[in-house]
Amino acid sequence: MAQRTGKPADKVPNATRRLRLGLGIMLTLLLVVGGKLFLVQGLDVGGMAAAALDKRMTETVLPAERGSILDSNGTVLANSVIRYNVVVDQRVNTKTETFKRLDEANEKLVDVSRDQGLTELAAALGMDKDAIREAVTGERPYYIVAKDVKPDVEDRISKLQIPGIVTEGVSKRVYPNGSVAGGIIGFLKDGSTGQAGIEQTQDELLRGKDGKRLFEIGADGLRIPVGMDELTPPQDGKDIKLTINSDLQYFAQQAIQSQSDKLGAEWGSIIVMDAKTGDLVAMADTNAPDPNDPGRVAAKDRGVRAVTAAYEPGSVQKMMTVAALIEEGKASPLDTFTLGPSYTVDGQTFSDSFAHGTEERTLAGILGYSMNTGTVMAGQRLSKQQRYEWLQKFGIGEAPDIGLPAEASGILTPWEQWDGRQEYTVLFGQGVSQSTLQTVRAFQSIANNGVMLQPRLIDSYVSPDGAEEKVPAAPPRQIVSEDTAEQVQDILESAVTEGQIKDAGIDGYRVGAKTGTSESPCDDGAGYCGYTASLVGMAPMDDPRFIVEVVLQRPKGSIYGITNGPVFRSVMSQALRTYNVQPSTGEPARLPQFAK
Amino acid sequence: MSTAAVKNFPVVSGSSAASSSLPAGSPGAGRKGRTPLSVVRSMPRKRRAPFVVLCFALLAVALIAVLVLNISVSTAQYQLVELRARQSTLTKQNQDLTQQVQNFEAPQNLAAKAKDLGMVASTVKGQIDLSTLSVTGKATPAVKGGSEGAVIPAPAVAGQLLVVPPATKGEPLESRKPVEAAAPAAQTPAADAPAGQAQEQTQAPAAPPAPSAPPVELHGGTVPVPQQKVPGQ
Repeated sequence: MAQRTGKPADKVPNATRRLRLGLGIMLTLLLVVGGKLFLVQGLDVGGMAAAALDKRMTETVLPAERGSILDSNGTVLANSVIRYNVVVDQRVNTKTETFKRLDEANEKLVDVSRDQGLTELAAALGMDKDAIREAVTGERPYYIVAKDVKPDVEDRISKLQIPGIVTEGVSKRVYPNGSVAGGIIGFLKDGSTGQAGIEQTQDELLRGKDGKRLFEIGADGLRIPVGMDELTPPQDGKDIKLTINSDLQYFAQQAIQSQSDKLGAEWGSIIVMDAKTGDLVAMADTNAPDPNDPGRVAAKDRGVRAVTAAYEPGSVQKMMTVAALIEEGKASPLDTFTLGPSYTVDGQTFSDSFAHGTEERTLAGILGYSMNTGTVMAGQRLSKQQRYEWLQKFGIGEAPDIGLPAEASGILTPWEQWDGRQEYTVLFGQGVSQSTLQTVRAFQSIANNGVMLQPRLIDSYVSPDGAEEKVPAAPPRQIVSEDTAEQVQDILESAVTEGQIKDAGIDGYRVGAKTGTSESPCDDGAGYCGYTASLVGMAPMDDPRFIVEVVLQRPKGSIYGITNGPVFRSVMSQALRTYNVQPSTGEPARLPQFAK
Repeated sequence: MSTAAVKNFPVVSGSSAASSSLPAGSPGAGRKGRTPLSVVRSMPRKRRAPFVVLCFALLAVALIAVLVLNISVSTAQYQLVELRARQSTLTKQNQDLTQQVQNFEAPQNLAAKAKDLGMVASTVKGQIDLSTLSVTGKATPAVKGGSEGAVIPAPAVAGQLLVVPPATKGEPLESRKPVEAAAPAAQTPAADAPAGQAQEQTQAPAAPPAPSAPPVELHGGTVPVPQQKVPGQ
């Protein structure tokens, strides 16, 4: 405008105008450029920066390490290790006839044919070459050639640099002790979720929490040092320390397996418990699963029968009847009872496992020879409600909580619903059912001077930083007085010294024990199929330290010829020696079994 | 006296008042006399050259410093990656060795090995009380060849060698030579018998058994047995 209207005469205002015009244009341009800059840098309208950042930004999941399971000595029973899956992109491998590989010795590239590469891969994996060739040929972009390859093999495979072949790290659960305590530990489903045992019940604690890392990575595959780096560290799972002693567990498992094999029993189990703390030192089962390969044993054998199987305990229950009688002041160990060959009360007749004439027995003798007649005669002194309440006090019908799945509580019918025979049979352990652990817990209260401690299997949780968090013991319960407990202990010891269970005795240690034999109802509920034979005992009687119970389900052959004494003896003496228990002092109790 | 009053008050006191009034009185004369002298302008011009050099030098130094810093950072990054790789290799090695120890320590493996060495479990033990010098229990020697009872199977951990191998195999450690075994496997791949490879799949290193003579088999003992020599030797 200024140029057109202006005349050559007035140059000064023209120059100013031009200057202003130029300035205006420049400012406009600057505004445009600045605006664009603002749009790009400030507002990121096209999403360029975001797209670039997105391309550089990589997120990796940092998997939390699953916690280990340890025994009481710190022996690893379950832990996780690194394994690799060898994976092939078949499309890449199939069309690559030759590939280059760096020969590290000569530092130059050499040509390797596909055939030779596959031969080397087959050698490294220990697989047939034809199988390898079949696995890597095809159209699939992802195909697993080999699973769970160890790190040293993976290293060699990576060095082969075969096109299309990559290795992926996976975490693998390993159980170094195999079937020793296999049922207790349990196993994982598809490598991550607990499916049985401690692995199942403590899954949340063992699993931990995955972390992640966000970082910028360059085209050369290296992290950009000045870029963003956001790290959320994974929280590793806690280790779980059990009260089990794996050496003793092995010993018990081997003992019960031998006994069960010898007698053709359906199953057997052994519990070793520390009477002073309630710690379960061993819980052995026959045909225990190997968590590395649980499918090898039948599904019914994969649990822990000591807690899952409830059965009629039989004569071991007489201990509770006697303890109740003494605690209630209704009888003392040397009270005499006159017993005929059979005993009838309320139209119900009871007989013993052995034939005898009319005998004068002490209460100790009734237990020492495990007489049903005497137990019913003496137990009558308790009212029905008292019988029920005493069984309840000893923990019958109450499932122990030790952190295993499917813990049985057994069946204790309320006393109002007992029929005419059941009200007497509960006195000697028929018509009532309980798990082996419940029996052991009841005997533990007698061994621990009348104080019942809840059984413990999980000793402590160990955090990844090493801090050990003890699982607190449940509050103890006084079941019977100390005086009663001592009298019952003497009766149990007399059963070994004077009564029928002499083969449970251990040289050098005073032992108290009680056998139990009960008829086992058939699985289909019709009638009885065989017997359950058990033996529970404690030692050393001067200050009981361990309770051991041996149970054998439906052994073949005559039940009268079967004894669990030698098994009990070997497991108990192994436990006593493992824990360096002092040999007994003092005179063993020898309560007379017959009244003079 | 308020601050407004101070501002309005003329400044008269002190030497500053006198000196400030002097240039104000003769402005025109002083300016005209000094205009031709351009000494003041030349002074910064003389100093500008070294300043520019200094600036460039500083720039160069800064650039070099940034370069060096960048190089060292990226070198450190490479070093970091390498060290990480070494750490992970060592971790894996450690894990592998720990697993081997655990495998040997498993009670059933220990028992099987002991049995393999001819040991038998004692059954009846005696105790000696040193304070009372009393002997309790009748310790009897263990009987060889008695029934050992049930055998708990060895842990089925994939990739672990059997501590007590089946009767057909020799010393368990024989097949466990990852370093030497790897080299011939890579060099003479054609000579490998596929069947042999498949058999040894459970053992990590794929060792071709044919070419190298096995070491002297001691069967767990320390004295070599002469007739164990392999015909090829």
